[in-house]
Amino acid sequence: MPATLGLAWRLLRGGGRRGMLGALLTFAAVAVSTGLLLLAAGVNHGFAQRADADAWRHPAGMSEGRATAVQALSTDYVRGRPVTVVDLAAVDGRVPVPPGMPHFPRPGEVWASPALADLMRRLPPDQLAARFPSRTPAGVLGRDALVHPGELVAVVGRAPGDPVMTAGRDDRSVRETAASPQRIDHYATGAVSPVPQVYQMLAAVASVLMVVPLLVFGGAAARLTVARRDQRLAALRLVGATPGQVVAITVAEAVLTAVAGAVAGALLYAASVPALARITIGGGRWFAGDLWPDALWSAGILGAVPVLVGISAVVGLRRVVVSPLGVARRQTPPALRAVRGLLLVAVLAGFGAVGGSLTGMGRAGLVVLLVFVALAFLAINLVGPWVVALIGRLTVATARRPARLLAGRRLVDDPRAAWRTVAGVALTGFVAGFLCLLNPSQAALDGGPADRLELAVPPDRSAAVAARVRERLAGMSAQVTVRHAETSDDGADMGDGPARDDVVAAAVPGGAAAVDRARTALTGVVPGQPATTPADDPTARHLMADLRTGALAVLAVSFLVAMTSAGITGASAVLDRRQTYAMLRLAGTPLPVLDRARRQETLIPLVVMGGGSLLTGMFFALPFAMGVGTAGLLTLSAFAALGFAGIFGASALSRPLLRSVTADPAPRPD
Amino acid sequence: MTEPVLIGEGLIKRFGATVALDGVGLAVGRAETVAIMGPSGSGKSTLLHCLAGIMKPDAGRVLLLGQRVDTLGERRRSELRRTRFGFVFQFGQLLPELPAVENVALPLMLGGTPRREAVAASRAWFGPLGLAGMEDRRPGELSGGQAQRVAIARALVTRPAVVFADEPTGALDQRTGHETMRLLVDATRGNGASLVLVTHDPNVARWCDRTVEVRDGRLLTAGAV
Ligand SMILES: Nc1ncnc2c1ncn2[C@@H]1O[C@H](COP(=O)(O)OP(=O)(O)OP(=O)(O)O)[C@@H](O)[C@H]1O
Ligand SMILES: [Mg+2]
Repeated sequence: MPATLGLAWRLLRGGGRRGMLGALLTFAAVAVSTGLLLLAAGVNHGFAQRADADAWRHPAGMSEGRATAVQALSTDYVRGRPVTVVDLAAVDGRVPVPPGMPHFPRPGEVWASPALADLMRRLPPDQLAARFPSRTPAGVLGRDALVHPGELVAVVGRAPGDPVMTAGRDDRSVRETAASPQRIDHYATGAVSPVPQVYQMLAAVASVLMVVPLLVFGGAAARLTVARRDQRLAALRLVGATPGQVVAITVAEAVLTAVAGAVAGALLYAASVPALARITIGGGRWFAGDLWPDALWSAGILGAVPVLVGISAVVGLRRVVVSPLGVARRQTPPALRAVRGLLLVAVLAGFGAVGGSLTGMGRAGLVVLLVFVALAFLAINLVGPWVVALIGRLTVATARRPARLLAGRRLVDDPRAAWRTVAGVALTGFVAGFLCLLNPSQAALDGGPADRLELAVPPDRSAAVAARVRERLAGMSAQVTVRHAETSDDGADMGDGPARDDVVAAAVPGGAAAVDRARTALTGVVPGQPATTPADDPTARHLMADLRTGALAVLAVSFLVAMTSAGITGASAVLDRRQTYAMLRLAGTPLPVLDRARRQETLIPLVVMGGGSLLTGMFFALPFAMGVGTAGLLTLSAFAALGFAGIFGASALSRPLLRSVTADPAPRPD
Repeated sequence: MTEPVLIGEGLIKRFGATVALDGVGLAVGRAETVAIMGPSGSGKSTLLHCLAGIMKPDAGRVLLLGQRVDTLGERRRSELRRTRFGFVFQFGQLLPELPAVENVALPLMLGGTPRREAVAASRAWFGPLGLAGMEDRRPGELSGGQAQRVAIARALVTRPAVVFADEPTGALDQRTGHETMRLLVDATRGNGASLVLVTHDPNVARWCDRTVEVRDGRLLTAGAV
């Protein structure tokens, strides 16, 4: 084995400029793939960490018989930003220590997240700090307690008899942001509330959308190493190397390149984590550490990538090993069968049949959707070469100029290779088509008035509460009204709950500062229930905005993959055919004709396949369509523009390469 | 000799320290066939490349029908190669993805001939060269000798002034090689084109009108063979 490694290393280094270029292309492809795989895993890890950091705030109940503490959750707002307030009271000496704190809070103590502590210092106390039992925090919460770095969180220690620890809260409809006091003996872990779960599922969908094109791309890149070297390996085979040795040398060579690429990819990812951490999702940025997949995943990715590259190399080599006469294909390739076309039709028909009912199926629907999306990817990837061959035959039949004839013949000759060049963009087309229909319009996101503070109270107490509100807001020229609970009953599902609540509302003029002063004044009017405005709860707004951010991120990643892949495969196509190009050039073929042929053989299938998979993607998004708002259309046009610009750019990169391989047209065996 | 079509004068070409051509002069007459012989590494291919406008010599002149070739820019030389010259080499000149007839038609199409016409004109070459029925095969489906005959058709289809051939049958067995050479020499003559042919085979050289001998980048006088 050391001998093989040594030989592989020497071949790698001694491969000349062109051999080195091939290795470099593989290296780049592996680096990009590894970086993006780490991103896909990192994003999922990040959301899991967030869900975990959110979990402990929701009272977990008891695992054994004896309660040690009482816990309640409410959400206050300051300047329109949510402040998560966790109230804790010890009932027993063996209280569990909350995450991010050195000890259980003593009654009257307030522990604040760094961002909240900062706000408490900066805003006048009558706008924020006075809402808490103590105006200065007893300590700052550590990151274990926080979902994201800028989050506003307060942990308030209270006595078990404090009204806040005994009053029930409206936690049926707003489970995310409020929880009635409960006796606990431990804190919850895992994803317990729905919103983090939704985010985790969306991250999973995004990962599938990203990883499949990535794998296709990685496979193409791996075959590139072999394409570079098959000639030389055939020669080795001719001089008597055993198949085993040839395989070992190639695999060693590919794996060496891939290991270097994987390490570079990890460094690339590490370098971009600080920038990624600044992307706002779910109302906040990221802890950089959360964006690193845990050690097992990182090691798995870094280990699996070179292994996969090695396997692809072996598969690509099979032909050389079987026949020492080399791998140059000498016959008309067997036509690809139309069965491939039927496959996509079958997947589309299948989805058409069940797609409509997916939205009603909850989690199972998501799994079915993911399976179908993966199937559609695979089907597009199988159908691609067949369609490319078809396009090629049409192009040949209609070609009148040499460039187009050359392009068409090339497509017919090796539709798989042509497909590899455009596969990335075609699959991106699918992603873009899928996502453009999921873009909500802005109108759906507007909340309500931000200056009307409301408190929900049982009807029998509404008059008393309204009186207290008027008293507390005296001098603020607030308009206090009581909106009585409607007797009509469309909420029959809440049958066992108490009677529906009246709403005491106070319209506060004077802007955000005045509203926060009023909020502070109203603290404790209804124990455990801060006054909120209809504009306050940002969850839905965040979710919608994040869908768009996520869609754009997935698109950006797909484009990165597509362009790298177009650039790399384009360059490798030129390298593979350098002898042909040199010969054509020698016989006087103008460089522009060669260049045009090279461009057309990419662009013709690109337009057809990119457009086709865009439509397929849209078809898959139909059941979830939120209307093609302007945002969706913009995304779509941006996709088309970027796709073409990117491919033109990537394909222009192989132009100097073409020039260089044809610069010295003197015929040479290699 | 009739008036020369192609003239090389005082050609010098160096590759680093290697002097591949050391002052070579050669004139090729109209429809004349000239064989270039010499040991390996003596500079035969280099001479051919300089004459054909593939390489620029470091010194000396190349004239086609009285016009300087070596001073032209790459674009003009490229056009000249396409329109006035034909090439037959040992390997790699046919595009593997194009059927034989389109390989032959390609130079015509590059010159602006409509595809239908170009293909029809190309078909006419297949019978005389013993390739009847091979029109739609791809190069990979032809034998080495057949492929070389397709290459000959391709070199002649534009009715060039000069055909350059560098050991075109080096990869063929002797009999096939001789047949192919015979075809090349006869077809070139029959079309009124001149032929510059690099070969190792004295029998092949004998069919040519004249043989020149290259040694270490210089021409030996004819008749010294
Ligand atoms: N591109 C090049 N770079 C460096 N040296 C070269 C190059 N091309 C040719 N030479 C050198 O120039 C000399 C002449 O080479 P040339 O190819 O003309 O020989 P030849 O007579 O055609 O040989 P053969 O019969 O083996 O084909 C040789 O010494 C060769 O090594
Ligand atoms: Mg030679």
